Amino acid sequence: MTTETIIRVLAALLAPPLIGALCFGLDRKITARFQGRIGPPVWQPFYDVAKLWRKEPMVLNRVKTLYVYLHLAFMMMVMVLLVLGEDMLMVLFAHAFSSIALILGAMSVRSPYSRLGAMRKIMQMLAYEPVLVLMVVGIALDNASFSASDIWVRPQPLLYSLPLVFLAFFVAALIKLDKSPFDVATSHHAHQELVKGVTLEFSGPYLALIEITHFYETFLVLAVMAFFWITEPAVGVGLAAAGFLGLIVVDNISARLTTRSMVKIMWTVPLMLTIINILWLYR
Amino acid sequence: MESVLVGLLIFGPILMGVLAWLAPGNRSRVLVVVLGAAGLSAVGVFTAWRGPFDFIPSTWLPWGPWAMFALEALEDVIITYIGYRLASQAIVVCGVVQFGLTLTEEYFRFQNPYLTQAPHFMVDPLSLILVLIITVIGSLIAVYALGYMERHAHHAPSSAGSNGRFFFFLMGFLGVMNWVVLTDNIQVFIICWEATTLCSFALIAHDGTGEALASAKRALLFTAFGGTANMAASAIGMAQFGTGDLTGLMAAGAMVPITLLCVGALTKSATLPFQSWLLGAMVAPTPVSALLHSATMVKAGTYLILRLAPSFTGTRLSDVLALCGAFTFALAAGLAIGQSNAKRVLAYSTISNLGLIVGCAGINTPLALAAALMILCFHAASKGLLFLCVGTIEQEIGSRDIEDMGGIRFRLPATTIITLVGMASMLIPPFGMLLSKWMAIEASIHSPLILMLVVAGSALTMVFWVKWMGRIQTVSYHPEERLEKLPPSMLTALVVLVLIVLACGLAAMPIHRTWFEPMVIQIYHGKLEAIRAAQSLVQLKAVSHLAIWPVLVLLGGAFLAWLGHRTFFKGRHERLPFLCGENVVAPDRFYSFYSLKDQPDSAWAASMYLTSVFSETKLTPWANLLALMILMSLFVMGGVTP
Amino acid sequence: MDSLVKSPWVVHYNCNSCNGCDIEFLACLTPLYDAERFGILHVGNPKHADMLVVTGAVNHRNSRVLRRVYEQMPEPKVVVALGVCTATGGIFAEGYNVLGGIDRVIPVDVFVPGCPPRPEAMIDGIVAALSRLSAKGRGQEVGPAKKDRITYQRPSDPAAEGKDDAAHRP
Ligand code: SF4
Repeated sequence: MTTETIIRVLAALLAPPLIGALCFGLDRKITARFQGRIGPPVWQPFYDVAKLWRKEPMVLNRVKTLYVYLHLAFMMMVMVLLVLGEDMLMVLFAHAFSSIALILGAMSVRSPYSRLGAMRKIMQMLAYEPVLVLMVVGIALDNASFSASDIWVRPQPLLYSLPLVFLAFFVAALIKLDKSPFDVATSHHAHQELVKGVTLEFSGPYLALIEITHFYETFLVLAVMAFFWITEPAVGVGLAAAGFLGLIVVDNISARLTTRSMVKIMWTVPLMLTIINILWLYR
Repeated sequence: MESVLVGLLIFGPILMGVLAWLAPGNRSRVLVVVLGAAGLSAVGVFTAWRGPFDFIPSTWLPWGPWAMFALEALEDVIITYIGYRLASQAIVVCGVVQFGLTLTEEYFRFQNPYLTQAPHFMVDPLSLILVLIITVIGSLIAVYALGYMERHAHHAPSSAGSNGRFFFFLMGFLGVMNWVVLTDNIQVFIICWEATTLCSFALIAHDGTGEALASAKRALLFTAFGGTANMAASAIGMAQFGTGDLTGLMAAGAMVPITLLCVGALTKSATLPFQSWLLGAMVAPTPVSALLHSATMVKAGTYLILRLAPSFTGTRLSDVLALCGAFTFALAAGLAIGQSNAKRVLAYSTISNLGLIVGCAGINTPLALAAALMILCFHAASKGLLFLCVGTIEQEIGSRDIEDMGGIRFRLPATTIITLVGMASMLIPPFGMLLSKWMAIEASIHSPLILMLVVAGSALTMVFWVKWMGRIQTVSYHPEERLEKLPPSMLTALVVLVLIVLACGLAAMPIHRTWFEPMVIQIYHGKLEAIRAAQSLVQLKAVSHLAIWPVLVLLGGAFLAWLGHRTFFKGRHERLPFLCGENVVAPDRFYSFYSLKDQPDSAWAASMYLTSVFSETKLTPWANLLALMILMSLFVMGGVTP
Repeated sequence: MDSLVKSPWVVHYNCNSCNGCDIEFLACLTPLYDAERFGILHVGNPKHADMLVVTGAVNHRNSRVLRRVYEQMPEPKVVVALGVCTATGGIFAEGYNVLGGIDRVIPVDVFVPGCPPRPEAMIDGIVAALSRLSAKGRGQEVGPAKKDRITYQRPSDPAAEGKDDAAHRP
């Protein structure tokens, strides 16, 4: 393994949470502005994590804390596999297992809110997983390779061949980032019917680790959006920014849906969009 | 040497079974089974290590063909008799038709002197994989059964058969199953295949209750139907193509017999629409479910399809099998979501995975076949283990309902951890099942319909596993934990099997690279049109290069971080769950809350079963109809010819 | 800079208030007052919270709830009591079931006077509690909050201690 690889891996582990935290801070700021408020400083997520890190590591039982580490480890694995140019489907699986670790952690205690949140998180995964897998397959079909390293060397933007998949991914991203109307399992806004759902029984440093994973995830979603126009990185970043703004707008203008309708919606409109797009690639 | 190995593999277990039956007491039976299991697995591992060989018995008695005829006819008669005793006309019809087919076979056989030669054995890598599974996992399950059946006998209904009889069928089954995978001769294959069917019948009916008999009857009907298809294939093969060997059929490209064999294989592997017998078979004692109905016997069907697969690349049969398998994969995974009975969930998961193997064989590219082989191996180990775990849990808590399994991590810590490892090995990287599913998706991208089904299936699979994993590790806070007491045989089998699962799981990629990749490349050598083969090989190479080390490093890091964390975390940070502040605080009721009138009540959240969509009553009829239509499409519009 | 000060997450528990204080507290989150400017988040559960905001005069029935919510917050933590009810029982002080003052149940860090206090005062109270939070975070001892002018105080009532506290968890 060369020094360059090591540097790249380190960068992939360190930069995303920072960028993701900034994006999350921006999210809160922009949301506040939409609501006519001033909002917290953009650095707020850093303060939050720093604070959580100093709190008491309070838990219900010791075993569940393992899952928090796994939650983060799988998400870091996503980053490492991506920079190593590994298979994108594997990356996606690692990403799914990050959520699964959180679910298992939430389910390993006899706490009704946490369990219900975990069940809903499973439903969220059921809703978006096919769309994400098909998105990866679509990219692979277009690239004739599943390898993440091949996505950089493309003659034309992915968006040309996968416009509908991008739309579907946008909807899936709403679920991934726990945005309304799909923030059924846990929510970044004040109250919800499940208290804090899946993250309820994690506090202090454990919650900090979950927050950091969330920053990775925010970064990942934005990075995937940018990948749709990676041939010109500036345009790609613009695309990601536009997508991010879109996510925030939808988050602010919609009310929460039930789990059932979430699965129904995801398995009809976005999934169909993806399938149509992919069938078109087969032509 | 070869004759000794083959003899030990086949007749060793049968002899052990007879001894176990005749054994005067429990202790002598334990001795026989433990020694037999140790010897058998040693022979199996040695055979696999020695590598493939072809073996033609050098001495073949003149009455050999007649003995084969007699055996086959005997089985037909037994099936007919069972059908008569159970008042099942369908089974009687199957038996009679089988008898007729046997006579036809013999008629053609004795006309062709070539066919009456000694039936030879073809031991290729595929057979060796199966032999390894049968001998190692089968032996472990037999050892486990020692403890299990002793406990089982205490609360079994009075109609149940003796444990000696049970072990005769269980051990004897290992012998005939070895024979199934070692032989190349179709007639021997069919004789042993029917013998496994009869073992399965006897073991399902072991408890002798009405439910057990009904399930055994259904199992016999379905598998005997498959056996009939196989016999028809054999008869046609002999009559039309003048060959009695599987290799002969494949070389001749005899599509009609091959198709019939595939249909027989589908019934054995319980793909939709034949799944109902496997679900019924879950009434059998759990070692039977582990051995016959997940690890080995149902794999015989997929083994046959995998064996035949290279001979039908690019045909209609291949496409139909791919569709049928992928459809089974998705639907069975969906049906598993709606189940709360642990053994039925495992059964559906088995059906689903068998479906995926069939689907991969139908896709019929090197990559797909590698995926199928991975599933075949890793599924056998993991699912065998999981069945044993469920059997243990069931005996300990007296229920096989998943909802009752909350809190077992406190009551049965060791079993729970083993179960969790088993489940993780079905789902989570770096274990083999995940890798094989990943390969299956990559292999299916050339046909959109299969792809959609596989993708949907993997999403649904995840749902029921995660749900169940979450349930079994739900636990309240308990100050101290103590290990449960299991019979030594059960504990040994569980521990050895979980170690095997862990070792194979962690080494999945090297195993694929060292054995499966060269194997599939060799199997498809010159069998695929150039472009497709090239594509698939590129894919296969790409897949094989997956770096597993980041996975291992990061997971290991997380585990170490957690361990390190544990040491300075001494229990004082443990609090009650959030129940809106209404917690009851008393030494034994940490998880209750004050409900109406200040009465303590315990908080409980059931899992989601999504029964509005995934209930058996709603989904199964449609699924069966669709699957039947898929199968029927084999026979309409141009038939089975390429 | 002390991160504890920068991101106080709040859980709000209403023990027997007239809802006047609650409505005013919720008003803090509205665009007009915008408590999130200071990083104040309303997390709605004790497990994530640094600060417990209590309204209302605690009574026999809900004193144990108040105590559980407080116990389930991770250290360091502070309690802000809003309104005169929390200080003395306020207009409910004569009630047959009222304990009169949440400091009889849990230690209080800041009392915010008023019936109800204005949202500005509430935010002020929270910000005032932050210095105590930060001190606790550094491991310093901080004494209980002083109630400067107490208009009414009930005689102490042994029955006020909850009935289920015989067995505390280790
Ligand atoms: S202090 Fe006044 S406004 Fe607040 S709860 Fe008490 S009575 Fe209501």
